[in-house]
Amino acid sequence: MVVSREETGKKFFLNRYLSLGHRLTGDERTPQAIRVNTLKTTDDEISATLMGLGVKLSKVPYLDHGYVVEESEFSLGAYIEYLLGLYSLQESASQYAVQALAPNPGDTVLDMCAAPGGKTTQIAAYMENRGLLCAMDVDRARVYALENNLERCGVDNSLVYVGEATSLDLGTRFSKVLLDAPCSGNYVTDPSWFSRRVVEDVHRNAETQRKLLSAAVRNLEPGGILLYSTCSLEPEENELNIVWLLSNHEVVLEEVDGPGEDGLTEVFGRELEDEISKCHRFWPDMTRTQGFFLAKVVKR
Amino acid sequence: MRLLKRFLEQVGSKMVPEVLMIDSRRFTLNEELERRRFGRENLVYAGTYLGRNRRLFEPGSPLLQMLASEEGARKVQLGREAAWLFVCGRDIFEENIERVEGVLELGSHYLVMFDGRCVGYGRYETSAGIHVIRNLFDLGDFLRREASG
Repeated sequence: MVVSREETGKKFFLNRYLSLGHRLTGDERTPQAIRVNTLKTTDDEISATLMGLGVKLSKVPYLDHGYVVEESEFSLGAYIEYLLGLYSLQESASQYAVQALAPNPGDTVLDMCAAPGGKTTQIAAYMENRGLLCAMDVDRARVYALENNLERCGVDNSLVYVGEATSLDLGTRFSKVLLDAPCSGNYVTDPSWFSRRVVEDVHRNAETQRKLLSAAVRNLEPGGILLYSTCSLEPEENELNIVWLLSNHEVVLEEVDGPGEDGLTEVFGRELEDEISKCHRFWPDMTRTQGFFLAKVVKR
Repeated sequence: MRLLKRFLEQVGSKMVPEVLMIDSRRFTLNEELERRRFGRENLVYAGTYLGRNRRLFEPGSPLLQMLASEEGARKVQLGREAAWLFVCGRDIFEENIERVEGVLELGSHYLVMFDGRCVGYGRYETSAGIHVIRNLFDLGDFLRREASG
């Protein structure tokens, strides 16, 4: 593959973000965060325990059970309480996807690209281990990590399948679907990101994401809700995919609130419909998180 | 089922779970999952993980937590430091046991508890003239599995 010098590198991507309205430095980072596993403990109990061990936590105001680790002598993955499943390590913005989906105990939920399972265990916690939670991933090796997380966190209401989500048919329709799609990622959680990514990756991922979006809608019951998320800052994988979804499927958007900004309605000189502003973006310069995109879609 | 049954007898449990088998692993379904019809093709994990058959039955964490909540379960309670050594795969010296629920008998199996939760199980043995709880399974297995995966 021949890659134009102009379509890769830190300067290229930072200029793209500048044209989208954000002057990023490329050095933004996100602090370690945990999510309390309410299937096994309470915020008060685990906060008190960790503080007793010298861990300084601060509550993330927009998350139900999320805390930023401000100070800790050891990695938060090296405490017995982690092995007991009392909390998970999960970046703040990524915790917001499941919160926005808002699964309930009576729901039938599908987590389409589920491994390694941080969001799957979060869904189970919102469902209080009731209802049905189907999780799926194509990569068997990564599914082992998902299984470990389900076991560690005490999840009892899940069925896990290994398979290709684009051709998914489990013989049932779901009231809620999470599609946290495989994406180009972003530099906040990966310092080598700029040197590894080219804009062709973005286009290729966007193609795959459209297939996954179609499968997600196909597996929803009428009136069901799809939460689409990526940790990409690139509009092709985000707003432009939602524009495509709206014009190719019988769906409407619901507003996603939160810290950060509305979805973009102007992308590289192209005007998008106002509806797209109902999507939501976490920008690293605004939210002290990785870049993150969310869209909430209702099937007609 | 034979290995699981033997394991449950060893730890003094009266539990008789309905078992779903997927390869060498054993699961049990809650009532809601039991009621539902679902496809078995490409299914790799379902409901509550009980453990897997190897040479012996290797219990999973959910089963250990279920056993710990059974009345009359034999348990030894540890402090943080001893519990940490245990989840790192070490045996427990008798002197590091803070409290015993039941009677310590050589050859018997005990759930190993920390702060009211089960971190593994072991057998009370004599090793080089010293009484220990021999580590048979501990929750550090999660990290070891991830490292080897």
